Amino acid sequence: MAAVRIALLTIRLVMRTKVALFFTFVFPLVFLFAYAGLIAHGNPEIVAYMFGPVVTLNIMGSGFFGLGIQSVMQRERGSLRRYRLAPLGPRTILLSNLLANYLLQLPTLGLLLFCAVAIFHMPMKIGWVTLLVLVTVGTFAFAGFGLTIASVANTMQEAQVYNNIAWFTLLFLSGVTFPLPMLPRTIQRLAMFFPSTYLVSSFQSIAAQGDPLLRHWPEMLVLVTSGFFGLLFAMKLFRWEKEERISTRAKLWSCVFVLPFLVMGVWMNTRANPTAAWSRSYNAMDQGSSAGANAKAAKDNSIEDFEGVQTSEELTNRWRVTADSGAANHSVVELSLVTPGAEGTRRAMRFAGRLAAGPKNTPGKVAARYEVKIPVNSRGLEGIKFETRGDSRVYQVAFRPPNVAQLGSSGLPVPLPAISFVPGGTWQNVRVPIAWLANPTEHGLAEGPWILEISVTGPSGEFALDIDEIRFY
Amino acid sequence: MVRPPVLSCSHSPMNQTAEKPVLVSVQNLHKNYGDLAAVRGLSFDIFQGEVFGLLGPNGAGKTTTIEIIEGLRQPDGGRVRVCGLDPAQESMSLKERIGAQLQSTVLPDKMRVDEALRLFAGFYRRSASVEALLERFGLKEKRHTFFEKLSGGQKQRLALALALVNEPEMVLLDEPTVGLDPQLRRDIYALIERFRSEGRTVLLTTHYIEEAERLCDRVAIMDRGQLVALGTPRELITRSGQGTRLELRLAKPVGLERLKVIDGVIDCHEAEGAYFLRAQPPAVTIAALVRFLEADDNALVDLHIARPSLEDVFVEMTGRRMEA
Repeated sequence: MAAVRIALLTIRLVMRTKVALFFTFVFPLVFLFAYAGLIAHGNPEIVAYMFGPVVTLNIMGSGFFGLGIQSVMQRERGSLRRYRLAPLGPRTILLSNLLANYLLQLPTLGLLLFCAVAIFHMPMKIGWVTLLVLVTVGTFAFAGFGLTIASVANTMQEAQVYNNIAWFTLLFLSGVTFPLPMLPRTIQRLAMFFPSTYLVSSFQSIAAQGDPLLRHWPEMLVLVTSGFFGLLFAMKLFRWEKEERISTRAKLWSCVFVLPFLVMGVWMNTRANPTAAWSRSYNAMDQGSSAGANAKAAKDNSIEDFEGVQTSEELTNRWRVTADSGAANHSVVELSLVTPGAEGTRRAMRFAGRLAAGPKNTPGKVAARYEVKIPVNSRGLEGIKFETRGDSRVYQVAFRPPNVAQLGSSGLPVPLPAISFVPGGTWQNVRVPIAWLANPTEHGLAEGPWILEISVTGPSGEFALDIDEIRFY
Repeated sequence: MVRPPVLSCSHSPMNQTAEKPVLVSVQNLHKNYGDLAAVRGLSFDIFQGEVFGLLGPNGAGKTTTIEIIEGLRQPDGGRVRVCGLDPAQESMSLKERIGAQLQSTVLPDKMRVDEALRLFAGFYRRSASVEALLERFGLKEKRHTFFEKLSGGQKQRLALALALVNEPEMVLLDEPTVGLDPQLRRDIYALIERFRSEGRTVLLTTHYIEEAERLCDRVAIMDRGQLVALGTPRELITRSGQGTRLELRLAKPVGLERLKVIDGVIDCHEAEGAYFLRAQPPAVTIAALVRFLEADDNALVDLHIARPSLEDVFVEMTGRRMEA
């Protein structure tokens, strides 16, 4: 109960100290904005990937510089002596520090989360409970780290030296600053010994790939164990007075604190293969971010990306298919959704069926048509493009008014020409240049809608064409 | 090293506290800091309800002794009992029963006065009313003031209030008036006298002679970790053999040999036209001096009488002045 009282008062004191307020609440936001703005360029997928490192950085900072330095400062200033006159033991003081540190972490986390979601539109792929568990375990582990340093440091200067060594090592070599897959192999091997690596990689695999938390139980176990070790040492080596010095032998004993990390590092290097998991998270983020970036870039010029289409019925409501063979329409055509789409998107449209020859062996022809509105400000546009893959048949794409008579005296050729293309098995980009798009009003063509027509003709037989990401360019 | 003789008056009939139960017992206490022997074979008892002073110059071992009694330091030898408890082994129980004020109390800068009192009151099974403490120590108007904004005297009053927050049987005060101006010092004296009137046992350390003489029922004079004198201030002065100091100027000069033989004169010397006598008992000497001057057709131009102090006792016992 006394620990809770001291912890609550400590929080109140932090709220009254401008410097403490800055480092508790503003500084983590500076990192979030730096990571999300400068590194992720506001891309929500990358922000989600970088959120783990930002939270880890904050947890590390509060462990080393909040809890660790605070403990040494209390001792150096002599404020612990007054507590010593009361019926309190080291355990109460340490628990109160631990509790205050944790409780201060929660609003900071909330603030980071709010900014990441509200400002950078970070997708919330990590559950609340999982997030809380990760933050709790991480805070406990780094509190142990900070307390161990505070226990072995005889002076403030000494504590600063130890803290800086640990801080910068973990900052640059454990995925907090640079993504783990980007680090050289040797550094990756070294990173497997660092607690921040466990926290960052767990965060990222859960956030980027939706991994369950339980898959990271070894990392969590090591972090919790090290936290307990840290607390144990802090209790054992607790000093009320700055005059009390710790022996070199005791300092050496405190090295046992790193034992869980050593075990974990050796296991990861020899038995586990965390680098593959790190790469998977990174790639998942990378793919998501390209899709996101492309979607964002194409947002204004997009004609159809099929991402909002849920069913084939919905698709046939948007698209019109026709089988124009001269006979009684023996050709069959069907529109459906395929997954995934081009460029890592979720869906694409499949235009497939069977061509049947008409009377006198005239080739069959089927087409899919889509109504397109010319953008209000089309200045600078050069044409229409889309991603496609197919069966190596000859397909055609045309962009025309619903009624050719509409062209009137526009000066454009009638009928408008179509472009042929032969899609292969992989996604390819097809571009249809339309010169008048740059200034449609000059030709009296701004009024829509226009029709985008994709058709296939030729010998009888099956055909299949996938279309995605149709947009002006 | 030869131990100085201890001037002990604890069994004197003048001792009013001897009948009361012993609250603190210190027997043959030793404490070393590396090669430095801070306390060497210290022994004394403190009786319930008395104000007991540890008097001595800086480095005498007072703070070490009081901190061992408080349970803040472990002794290297000897036996200490406070309220029947061993401070080294039963410090948690002991801290419930004693209140202490450190030589320098440091609290977090942004902690308010009433918050400090409420926080510390919450640590004990029994606690005093915070409002009453604020009132009593004149801190009511400063209740919302941050610790960093308090003056030296206010900080000291807060430290004293914190010492009483658990309504202790015994209060231990380490140099409670050091660094304070005379007015604040008098305020603190009044507070300590109030402790006494409430029947609390008080142990205080000081290097101010007048503080010990004014406040303490009994005094233990310490030097270099050892006890050099123990008793009530009056007993110590009376028994020290220092005598009352007389400073006199005469109409006509007189030989020192003739002054030395006057009744009660212990010592005599001359400086800058004045004669300095140590006399015991002083009344006998003054009467004999008047008779001597009448017979010698001489006259007393000026006379100053200075009662001996604990400083003189210290000088007698150690050969040094207290500030040395």
